[in-house]
Amino acid sequence: MSDEILIVGAGVAGINAALNAADYGAKVYLVDDTPSIGGMMARLDKTFPTNDCSICIEAPQMYEVDNHPNIEILTNTEVKKVKKADEGFKVRLVRKARFVDEEKCTGCGACFEACPVTIPDEMDGRIFGNRKLAYMPFPQAVPNVAVIDPDCRYGNMNDKGACVGGCVVDCSQCRECPIALCVKACKEEGKDAVRLWQANKNINLTVKSIIVASGIEGAVPQEGLHGYRTCRNVITNMEFERLMNAGGPTGGEIVRPSDREHAHKIGWIQCAGRGLDHGTPYCSKVCCMIAAKQTIITKEHDASVETTIFYNDLKAYGKGMWGFYEKAKESGVRYVRARPYDVTEDPDTGNVRIRYEDLETGRPVEEEFDLLVLSTGLVPSARNKKLAKALKIELDKFGYFKEEDPILAPLETKVKGVYLCGGATGPIDISESVVQATAASMKAVA
Amino acid sequence: MNDELRIGVFVCDCGSNIAGVVDVPDVVEYAKTLPHVAHVDEGKWSCSVDALGTMKEAIQEQNLNRVVIASCTPRTHEPLFKASVKEAGLNPYLLEFVSIREQVSWVHMNEPEAATEKAKDLVKMGVAKAALLEEGEEIRLPVGRDAMIIGGGMSGMSAALFVAEQGFKAYIVEKGPDLGGILNRVSTVAHDDHTVPAAHIVQATRTKVEASPNITVYTNAEIESVDGYIGNYKVAVKTGGETVNLEISTVVVATGMREIEPEKGVFQYGENPSVMTQLQLEERLKTDDLDGFRNAAIINCVGSKNEEHGCCSVGCPVSVKNALALKKRNPDANVYILYRDMSLVKDEQVLFQEAKRAGIKFVRFPDDRYPEVTPEDGGLAVKVRDFLLGEDLTIPADLLVLTVGFTGDESIDAVRGQLKVSTNKEGFFQERHIKLGPLDFPADGVALCGCAKNPKTLKESCEEGIGAAMRASIPMKNGFIEAEGIVADIDLTNCDQCNLCYKRCPYGAIEIDEEKRPSVIKALCKGCGLCAADCPKECITIVHYSDEQLQAQVEAALEEDPDKKILSFVCHWCALGGVDMAGVSRLQYPTNARLIRVMCSARVPIKLIERAYELGAAGVLVVGCEFPTCHYISGNYACEKRIKRARKRLQKNGYDPDKLRLEWCSAADGPKFANIMRDMARELNLG
Repeated sequence: MSDEILIVGAGVAGINAALNAADYGAKVYLVDDTPSIGGMMARLDKTFPTNDCSICIEAPQMYEVDNHPNIEILTNTEVKKVKKADEGFKVRLVRKARFVDEEKCTGCGACFEACPVTIPDEMDGRIFGNRKLAYMPFPQAVPNVAVIDPDCRYGNMNDKGACVGGCVVDCSQCRECPIALCVKACKEEGKDAVRLWQANKNINLTVKSIIVASGIEGAVPQEGLHGYRTCRNVITNMEFERLMNAGGPTGGEIVRPSDREHAHKIGWIQCAGRGLDHGTPYCSKVCCMIAAKQTIITKEHDASVETTIFYNDLKAYGKGMWGFYEKAKESGVRYVRARPYDVTEDPDTGNVRIRYEDLETGRPVEEEFDLLVLSTGLVPSARNKKLAKALKIELDKFGYFKEEDPILAPLETKVKGVYLCGGATGPIDISESVVQATAASMKAVA
Repeated sequence: MNDELRIGVFVCDCGSNIAGVVDVPDVVEYAKTLPHVAHVDEGKWSCSVDALGTMKEAIQEQNLNRVVIASCTPRTHEPLFKASVKEAGLNPYLLEFVSIREQVSWVHMNEPEAATEKAKDLVKMGVAKAALLEEGEEIRLPVGRDAMIIGGGMSGMSAALFVAEQGFKAYIVEKGPDLGGILNRVSTVAHDDHTVPAAHIVQATRTKVEASPNITVYTNAEIESVDGYIGNYKVAVKTGGETVNLEISTVVVATGMREIEPEKGVFQYGENPSVMTQLQLEERLKTDDLDGFRNAAIINCVGSKNEEHGCCSVGCPVSVKNALALKKRNPDANVYILYRDMSLVKDEQVLFQEAKRAGIKFVRFPDDRYPEVTPEDGGLAVKVRDFLLGEDLTIPADLLVLTVGFTGDESIDAVRGQLKVSTNKEGFFQERHIKLGPLDFPADGVALCGCAKNPKTLKESCEEGIGAAMRASIPMKNGFIEAEGIVADIDLTNCDQCNLCYKRCPYGAIEIDEEKRPSVIKALCKGCGLCAADCPKECITIVHYSDEQLQAQVEAALEEDPDKKILSFVCHWCALGGVDMAGVSRLQYPTNARLIRVMCSARVPIKLIERAYELGAAGVLVVGCEFPTCHYISGNYACEKRIKRARKRLQKNGYDPDKLRLEWCSAADGPKFANIMRDMARELNLG
């Protein structure tokens, strides 16, 4: 029987499952549907409760995965079909065209510079994060090669001046596009790695077991929730995280979306959207510590910034978390037990006005902030439904993958040989994800 | 290997990435003039398959015995070049990597001349070090297939089952009479919308353990002594009046936790029999020894969330579950939960809703105003401030349950001493790294899981046990552990047995014999170099980062125009990550820096800093990982202390200590590194 295993999702959970299984001696296929491994953690600034820099911890592991003789990384790749076979699985993957030859590309960046089309980045779009249609997902990406947005290839961007310009030929038919600036720039570098005519490719594998490590997402609030998208200076905690990050779109400058001015008074609303139809129906457990972290780091950037956290129940579960909350208080953050009910914008200043009920006094209070951060919680990944169908496993009522017997057989699913770890199981922090990944890898190889 | 040094230098153009700024042919010509250089080659893309082939041919045809690659960054490309050098028949430790893209062409794009000079200097430094490189080898230590699991609770049993499933032997050492741990005292476990008797769970697991031919269980057992290290442990276990000697390879620590019993009198505990802790309540629920109560109150966060103790992590869901159990036992009774924060996650809220429907009353009290409990009419009166109503309530109670916090098991101090691991101030074991090694101790071969680490739910404990089994199994499956050849080596000639190295090694990789002579357990050494830099007699050398090799780089860097140069030591993990990030982001900064890579900032000895001063360096910079991150646990803290000593010594010897700068950079701190360089150049008037 094959001793190969498939890991779906290459965030911190998938990476750790892969490293453990590969060190154990199993051959691992580590698959991710985005152009780089790293997942959510690669985009975070610091991590609670130690304030370790996120990429500093993860990049060496990404690098280890990349160089491990037992691990094959397949990025931009989706699971299409899974069939139970003998004691394992026959899996069909589809490797989406990246329009770049991974073997030839050296990540030099000539194609990004040449690309004339700038679009807002998926993650950082509201906070000045732009990217080209030819781009690298982030500087430490693994593999460290460019990717070209399919939007370009199909000529969808013609009216915005895409590289294919006025060309009437579908580039999938073209073998040698002379106008495509990325192709040209790459050729000038002597690499000829851009492949605008690349097609999707099927890959067939037979594996012994499968680990689902497909991750979790930050909830995006509905328009209007606490002024989100109706007030310019209301952002989510994930957007704020990117704002603080030295590797983020502003180089770590905490500035407001409305005017790029530094924010001097910042508020956080915890449990934003909790219990609403379009929000998170449960406590996501990490948001309290994320807010504590964000206030501490904000104060480290500029001690004069005033920070206020509006919350109801404090979740300081787990090792070192209470001490971290105390540290946040020492750093000067003001914690107010409150129920915010109205957020409006001052059109002249762009400031955000919050009306809330102070739960201690029961009185309504009005206060103005430069920037308001919504701690929106974590929601199941959008990919879960499709993946569950392909793997023939179930989702729970929230949309996370369901464990068949969480107590006596944790991380196991209805299908023997398919295991879960990390955000695929529900809201979770990094440390717990690594623990689950290690446990899932044990089950997968045993 | 032939005696004559024949160094090959390979300079990469990286298309136009390097060659567009740096005059590569000039660097090539310059390299030819350096001592021992026998061959120099320019490659358009040195990492391409054809260029690697050419390099391998050159190594063989020209009999090259040292190789210097000048190209991108070792953080991404060193393994590739190492592998190629090895394929060409050369020991991979004879390769030196010079970074002229991230450190030169990308960050000095507008100063091609100065960039070219810097590239030449870096190549010269690389060649100087290469001349002193020695062969190294990966070090292997054999590991057998027997594991000891300390603690027979749910996480220990989970670990044992998975160790055993792979055909390895597991020895469970349980101090109590039965397997099951703290769960033996619990009545029910709630998960999602169903509640299961704890005894069923314990029994199901215990049956599997007892049925496994690969598991040996010692109950009423105590560890008398532990000697050795991974692959090589000798353990004496006292059980049933006799001592059993075990020879095992790996250890899993699963010693669990216990409730912190409140002091007598706290909320009438110990004075009134109707006051009890959650675990005492669980036992009563289990034996059905609980009747006749009319008014039950539960106070949460007793002894928790204060200066000594954090959140107990499990108290809120337990209080809700047990409130429901009380209500079920006696539907007419009033049941109150007095709490500070209701800390429930995802599925746990199902129970919360159920509790509300069942009529359980939740009263939040202010963080700084705990309820007061006084005896009244044979029962108790609980006076509590309702935070939300802003009113004081008095609740009569004939059953009062205290949700207290937890600490590690009583055996924790003994186990800590036997395994030479550490604990935290709350009485739990301290893992290697909260995220990189949540199930490991710093020493290889010792795993940690369950409530011995901090309080956990049953599910989490079992997951940790299974994960710990993986951590212990990897070396057992491979049959060995392997360390990179970058390790410490002690020459005892001048050693005065001060044992500083033994005391300071973060990995327990240095042992001492009866005469206090230290030696390195090479398979355990991670090569950080802390011991070498601290050794007062300079007896310790680090392979690939020896004092001589680093000094050769210092001398080469400062041979010409030292007053224009900032000699910089950067750690491989974070600081060099920051340097690379500055490169990738094309952040432009002055050309004065000459970087020397060390694995950890703790490697940098004072004497090399002093040497740089002697040679007239404009400044010296040491950059390590930002606190608290350190790839070697605490190397940056050690570095910080040493730099303080260095400043004093420099001052005493008549140098300006302000020209020495210590900085911390994370791998995302590209902008910070660029700023440091700009600042230093300005302060040192290097304009």
